[in-house]
Amino acid sequence: MKLKAVEQFLIGIAGLTRFAFRFFKEVFTPPFELKETLKQAYEVGYRSLPLVGLTAFIMGLVIAMQSRPTLIEFGAGAWLPAMSGVSIIREIGPVVTALMCAGKVGSNIGAELGSMKVTEQIDAMEVSGTNPFKFVVVTRIVATTLMLPVLTVFADSFSLYGAFVATNIKGHISFSLFFNQVFEKLVFLDVVPSLTKTIFFGFAIGLVSCYQGYNSQKGTVGVGKSANAAVVMSSLLIFIIDLLAVQITNLFMKY
Amino acid sequence: MDTNEPIIEISHLKKSFGDNQVLKGIDFTLSKNETVVVLGKSGCGKSILIKCIVGLVKPDSGLLKVLGKNIFELNQHQLDMIREKIGFVFQNSALYDSMTVRENLEFPLRKHNKKKSLAEVNELVKEALINVGLLDAINMMPSELSGGMRKRVGLARSLILKPEIMLYDEPTTGLDPITAKEITGLMLKMQKKYNISSIVISHDMTCARLTANRMLVLIDGIFYAQGTFDELQKSPDEKIHAFFE
Repeated sequence: MKLKAVEQFLIGIAGLTRFAFRFFKEVFTPPFELKETLKQAYEVGYRSLPLVGLTAFIMGLVIAMQSRPTLIEFGAGAWLPAMSGVSIIREIGPVVTALMCAGKVGSNIGAELGSMKVTEQIDAMEVSGTNPFKFVVVTRIVATTLMLPVLTVFADSFSLYGAFVATNIKGHISFSLFFNQVFEKLVFLDVVPSLTKTIFFGFAIGLVSCYQGYNSQKGTVGVGKSANAAVVMSSLLIFIIDLLAVQITNLFMKY
Repeated sequence: MDTNEPIIEISHLKKSFGDNQVLKGIDFTLSKNETVVVLGKSGCGKSILIKCIVGLVKPDSGLLKVLGKNIFELNQHQLDMIREKIGFVFQNSALYDSMTVRENLEFPLRKHNKKKSLAEVNELVKEALINVGLLDAINMMPSELSGGMRKRVGLARSLILKPEIMLYDEPTTGLDPITAKEITGLMLKMQKKYNISSIVISHDMTCARLTANRMLVLIDGIFYAQGTFDELQKSPDEKIHAFFE
């Protein structure tokens, strides 16, 4: 029984790897489905913005509210903007954005592609002379990979504004002073690695969700399982990539 | 291509899924302007057979020639050129849910006939929808269509490239008798209008009676019997007669 589970796991990894290789082969060869890629970028980016923005704003608010008493206890209340900024830019913004997208976009892609597979829409595309992998899979992976960093920048902004609002609930700090203090403490190694890792988050969400949907089993149960597996696996991969990103970034840190 | 040459030629075609051998050696030819109806129990491999013909499923062995070309020796471009001449009506219509009826019909044109202008594309879409009596539904989404309308749009989409061959996978399944008869009528009308050769997979005996020049019975992975509708209906063989009860 255990051997069977291990075998299934390894088969899954092999399938995902082959799927990724096929993506890299197809993404650089014409025809490029630019119109469909833009449509998917709109779906992934613009349509996720309200959800990501609201979540990020709340997270910024919560971070600042929860940190304030502890920082004041240590006599470091003035460090609240800087501390909130570093937390948000390095970790909260990218990870919250990626997790929200794994839930919203990942489940959407998994279910949509699963339904397309089950209702023979993928076969219909192939018969029409269109490469379904290029049209359906490549466009979605490119869209998630490009849109995650953009969404993260927006999420960071909303989150910092949330932190500013929280700081002003029990104290008073001007908008310019708050953001001066935030950006004063931010360095290259805070911003660039955190945005770089979102590219990998986006790629992971797109790849795993498309893989699950494209290989969906027949029937509505199969579609449900694909959507579920897309979210679970994407979320897990986000944390694994985050862990690796921290390790790599720490190699370049002084302390 | 020689005019007497069969449109589709299949010999010794075999296909297995794991231990389950679905097709055990199919031999079959389809002539020009001929309509062949394939009968068989659910899951006996009828859909697999027509999916082999368009290259969606690769058989384990055997010869499969479409319009004189062995389709498993063709590269992707050559295969697409052959597919341009084949219309495929899927069992559940397989309309693209995220696209309107117009976009569904334009989809096959985006790859083929790239040199067509926007006006020509619009004309083709309108002509295809007029053929199936659904011009009013041009801007509707598939989710807004009834089962019969979906079948009609599926038929219009597969006819938009004016194919030489049509493959119908249970075109009337799940429809009420009146709508099923309308779809059958449409199939006959289109076959006559565009001189199409067809393979129809169906359990609907009215559809089979009206459309078939010849009928084939697929049992246990082989074509067990063939003949006209009347010949098979009068067959004393219980296995064949069961389809007509």
